[in-house]
Amino acid sequence: MKTIEKLSSSPWMAWLVLLLIALIVPMAMGGYLITIITIVCIYAIVCIGLNLLFGYTGLLSVGHSAFLGIGAYAFGLIAIKFGLGFWPSFCASIIISGIAGFLIGIPALRLRGHYFVLVTLAFAVIINIVIMAWIELTGGAGGLAGAPRPDPIPLPWGDVIRFHSPLSMYYFILFFLVIIFAVSYRLINSLVGKTFIAIRDDENLTQSLGINTMSNKLVSFTISAIIAGIAGALFASYNTVISPDSAGFMKGMEVVAYIIIGGAGTLAGPLVGPLVMIAIPEMLQIVPEIRGLLFGIILVLFIIFLPRGVAGEVSLLISRIKSQSKHT
Amino acid sequence: MPPISINDTGDRVFVVAELGQYLVNGISQGCLYCLLASGLTLMLGILGVPNFAHGSLYMLGAYIAFYVVMLLNVSYLMSILLAAVILAVLGLVIYRFLFYPMRDAPHANLFVAAIALLMILEGAALLWFGGETKWLILPYSNDIITFGGMSLGVQRLIIILATLMVMLGLELFIKKTAVGAALEATAQNREGAMLCGIKVTQIAAMAFAIGTALAGVAGALIAPAVMILPSMGLGPLLVAFSAVIVGGLGSIPGAVLGAFILALVESLTSGYISATYSLVFVFVAMILMLLIRPRGLFGKEL
Repeated sequence: MKTIEKLSSSPWMAWLVLLLIALIVPMAMGGYLITIITIVCIYAIVCIGLNLLFGYTGLLSVGHSAFLGIGAYAFGLIAIKFGLGFWPSFCASIIISGIAGFLIGIPALRLRGHYFVLVTLAFAVIINIVIMAWIELTGGAGGLAGAPRPDPIPLPWGDVIRFHSPLSMYYFILFFLVIIFAVSYRLINSLVGKTFIAIRDDENLTQSLGINTMSNKLVSFTISAIIAGIAGALFASYNTVISPDSAGFMKGMEVVAYIIIGGAGTLAGPLVGPLVMIAIPEMLQIVPEIRGLLFGIILVLFIIFLPRGVAGEVSLLISRIKSQSKHT
Repeated sequence: MPPISINDTGDRVFVVAELGQYLVNGISQGCLYCLLASGLTLMLGILGVPNFAHGSLYMLGAYIAFYVVMLLNVSYLMSILLAAVILAVLGLVIYRFLFYPMRDAPHANLFVAAIALLMILEGAALLWFGGETKWLILPYSNDIITFGGMSLGVQRLIIILATLMVMLGLELFIKKTAVGAALEATAQNREGAMLCGIKVTQIAAMAFAIGTALAGVAGALIAPAVMILPSMGLGPLLVAFSAVIVGGLGSIPGAVLGAFILALVESLTSGYISATYSLVFVFVAMILMLLIRPRGLFGKEL
């Protein structure tokens, strides 16, 4: 009981311990486990972005697979067709996914509720069709091969960090996960983040206070698109082959499921969701045929019985324990 | 697409026949979307449930028709009725155990629940029926009626006639019976209906069952005309959803009109521009419609 109390009273310590685990434990892991946790990290990045939009601003997008796809293909195409290096292509892909998010956000965010969700889905399907059908550009169903790994980073004392091994790619992606997590944490605790939460709780009331909800929603949407684009580019660089499946619109729904199961509107939710839903099925060697079925059943159980998700229910439990120990 | 028979009388006739052919294709496809969209819009209007799993229910309808006809040697007409009954019962089960417990949940959660239902139904179909393509072959499967340079598969004609009958039946049920009136009243104003003593929960269960039964009928009707696959429902689902949006959430006439508009957009663009991109044109039409008139053709005020 004491340890739980201590940990929950100093969240910084808990996050630091988690980071240390993420840094040290993979060194002892085999290649297969590293592959899994790298994928988990990539999806955690997407989930952090989508959590800003869905968990904090209250806008459900089931079409974020589109931005994953835009990030991945923009990165791959710029690197392959223009022969640019990793960093220029990476930066360009971020800018392109941001512009795409902005341009889609303007019409989509004028709509509310079901209409908004369906337009995001339609957008994801359109992107998916274009990727599949524009074979000269994207390679169609066969995918696009040859996305570059990050350039080696020279260190001041003469050594060079290279990104050939799975472990080095894991650390590279973990680095982005930590940065994006920190940025989203700062954002949520800033005035902009508070405005997002106000919009989630009551959009009309927020508007009546003189806040421009449209531009705030657009900011939230664009940021989440950029973050999804970064994840897409990282995935492309990690895999070196970009397949249209990574931008399939079922992926967009799966990402929403990760957030619900992890806990929407919580800091830890976007990390817990992918960890539980990607790592556990992989470790249990679940056959792909029943994966969808199992996924759906778990999602139904969560949405009916634990709608706050793992992180939400745990923090509720901790606060209950705390208040009880205060009373006694 | 069936081949277009070319007349010797010249290009002019051919151009007219080509247009006519696309219109005929659009109408027969529109009938399917109409069955799906009217069920979807009923569920949205009365329960507020965006039923993403509607395409999967349609897929189940097709599999039921396939197994009933091919294995049990029952007539095709009986298989359509069976698909409707089985899907209606399944709809009641889904409502009782999924959407009834969630009746006060925020709309985003309903969306996620529907996505989960889609994953379960498709996963179960993949597990039980297998991923390989199935064909429902009827004695007249390859028969084609030709008129004025246009051609229409017999099954497509059956789809059009059956849809007319089903939609007429639905319209009579809603307009002429007390239960139907209660259904419409609940869709228009839930609180008002409750005040009038309408048991909204029962009406909601019935609306859900009618919606799933319509999806089952649509699936059984299309079964002899297409490849039967666990993923066959996604395309029609997306178009039917767009039709609901174009028509306005909760409005059956709107859904019917939206279904035919989008089916024509699909068949004309796939005929004249590109078959691969036809779904893109459907969505663009839907998004444009939303921007011009955000609540659809006949939708309630937002």
